[in-house]
Amino acid sequence: MMNATYAIWLRHMRKFMRNREELGGLLIQPILWVALFGVGMGRMLPGQSNYLSFMLPGILALTALGGAAGGGMMFLDERLRGILREYMVAPIPRLSILLGHMCATVSKAFFQIIIVVIVGVLAGAQLGGSVVAWLGTLVALVCFTLGFAGIALGVAARSKSIMGYHGMIFLFNLPLLFASNALYPLDKAPVWMQWLAKANPATWFIDVARSSAQSGDMSANLLNLGLLLCFAVAGTWLALRRFQAVTAN
Amino acid sequence: MIDAQGLYKQFGTVQAVVDLELQVPQGSVYALLGPNGAGKSTTINMLTTLLRPDRGTIVIAGHDAVRDSDAVRRVIGVTFQDLVLDRDLSGREALDFYGRLYGLDATTRTQRTKELLTLVELNDAADRLTGTYSGGMRRRLELARCLMMQPQILFLDEPTQGLDPQHRAMIWDYLRMLQQQHGMTMLITTHAMDEAELLAQQVGIIDHGRMVASGTPADLIGQFGSDMVRISADFPADYQPNWQHDTWVRNWSIQNGELRVGVDHGSRRIATILDGLRADNLQVTDMNMTRPSLGDVFLQTTGRALRDEVKS
Repeated sequence: MMNATYAIWLRHMRKFMRNREELGGLLIQPILWVALFGVGMGRMLPGQSNYLSFMLPGILALTALGGAAGGGMMFLDERLRGILREYMVAPIPRLSILLGHMCATVSKAFFQIIIVVIVGVLAGAQLGGSVVAWLGTLVALVCFTLGFAGIALGVAARSKSIMGYHGMIFLFNLPLLFASNALYPLDKAPVWMQWLAKANPATWFIDVARSSAQSGDMSANLLNLGLLLCFAVAGTWLALRRFQAVTAN
Repeated sequence: MIDAQGLYKQFGTVQAVVDLELQVPQGSVYALLGPNGAGKSTTINMLTTLLRPDRGTIVIAGHDAVRDSDAVRRVIGVTFQDLVLDRDLSGREALDFYGRLYGLDATTRTQRTKELLTLVELNDAADRLTGTYSGGMRRRLELARCLMMQPQILFLDEPTQGLDPQHRAMIWDYLRMLQQQHGMTMLITTHAMDEAELLAQQVGIIDHGRMVASGTPADLIGQFGSDMVRISADFPADYQPNWQHDTWVRNWSIQNGELRVGVDHGSRRIATILDGLRADNLQVTDMNMTRPSLGDVFLQTTGRALRDEVKS
C-alpha cells in the first residue's frame, strides 16, 4: 500500500521536476497573486491597516485550490491516456493509486505555499504566532488541499474530456473563494452569504491561518481543524467511491 | 491456466460479451480474433481484472479473477492496445517505476531492467524519454514492462498493431522465444490472420460478443476442405446452388457477390460448380482457387472481411 503510494508520488515528482513549464508556472503564479492582487487591492482599501496580511491566507487557499485542480487534471490526463491502466492491473489497492496522486498534489501545493509566504513577507505582510500555531496552519492546509484534491480526483475519475473536467472544476475554484472570508471580512456581507461562508472549508482554513498569524492561539481553532480533517477524509472517500464505480474493484 | 466459463457483460442495453467460454492450457498461445466492437477488449479487460463480469467465472492460474483479483494481478503481465507508456519518462525509468509499483527492491529492479532492455534491444535508447521512441520501440518497451514481474501468463492486446513488417517479425520472435524457452502462456488479440496462424495453437473467433468458432488453426481451416473456390457473379438473394448437398462440398457461402466453396479437390470440382451456375443462368465475372486460410474462416464466421474492418 505505502509502497505503491510512494512509487506513484515519486513518479509524479520526478516528472514535475523535469517539466520546466509546469515548474515555472507554479512558481510565478503565487508571486503574481501576492504582487498584483494583494498589493494592488491593499492600496485601494486605505481603511485596512495591512490588507496583505489579511488576505495572505486567502492566497494560500487559492493556491491550494489551484493545486487540487491541477492534481485532478494530472489524474485525468493519465486516465485518458490509458496510463492509469498500468496501475490498475498491478496488485495494489485502488486507494494507493489515489493517495499517490493526492500526495503529489499536496507536495506541489506545498512548494507553492512556501513561495507565497516568502513573497508575502517580503511584500510586507506581518506574520506573528507561535511554532505550534504555524504547525496547526500547516495541518489545516494539508487537510484543505487533500479534501479538494479528493473532489477533483472524483470528478476526474468520471470526466469524459478535459473540457468537461474544467467546466466542473471552475465551479469549485474562484466562486468558492468569493463565498468565504478570504478576500473581505464577512461582517458586511448579507446573512445568507455569511452562512454559506461558514459552511465553506476555505473559511475554516482561513480562520485557522489568520488567527495563528495574529494571536498564535491554537485552541480556538480546534473545531476548524476537526472540520478540515473530516473534509479531507470525506474528499478521499468521495474520490475512492467514484473511482471504484468505474473500475472492477 | 486460463479458464473462463459463461462470461457475460452488458453495457446499458448492449450485450458486449455473451456466454463466452475460453480455455487456454499452460504453455500455449491463444489468439482471440474478431472485428472491432466484437467484444475482444471487453473480454480481455474481464480476464485481466479491469472489468467485473455480470455473470460467469474466470479462473487464472487457479485464482478467481473477481474474488481474488490481487492474486491474479500478481501472475499476469498485460500490454494494452493503445500504448500506455508515459512519454515523460525514459525507457529505463518506465521499467524501474513498474518494478517499484510492485514493491521490488532496488537491486532486483536494476538487474531485471538491464536484462529486459537487452532482450528487447533497447539498451542504446534506454535513457531517452519514451516520447522520442518510434512505435516499434514503444511496443518493445511495453513488452519488456509486462515481463518485469516475471508473469506466468501474458495478455497482449494487438501486440503488433501499426508496426512495420520488420518490427512485427521482431515481436513475433520475442513471443515465440518466450513460449519455447520459458513455457509462457499467452492470450493475444489480433486483426492479423498471419499472426494468429504463426503464433497460436488455439484460435477463437468472436463476433457480437459470442464465440462463433474455436479450435486449432488447422482444424478451423480444415473445415473448408483442401481448396477454396471463389466465384464472382450477380447472385440473387437466397441463391441455393444445386450441388450444395453433394459430399465433396465442405462449406459454402455467398458474401458481397462472391461465392466461396470449400471443396475436397479444387481442380476436379470447378467444372461442376460452373455448370451449376450456368444452369441457373448466372454470368460469372471472376473466378479463382486458393488454399483456404484463417482469413476465410474469419470471413465465413463473422460475415465481414477483415480489410473492410481495418479501415473503419
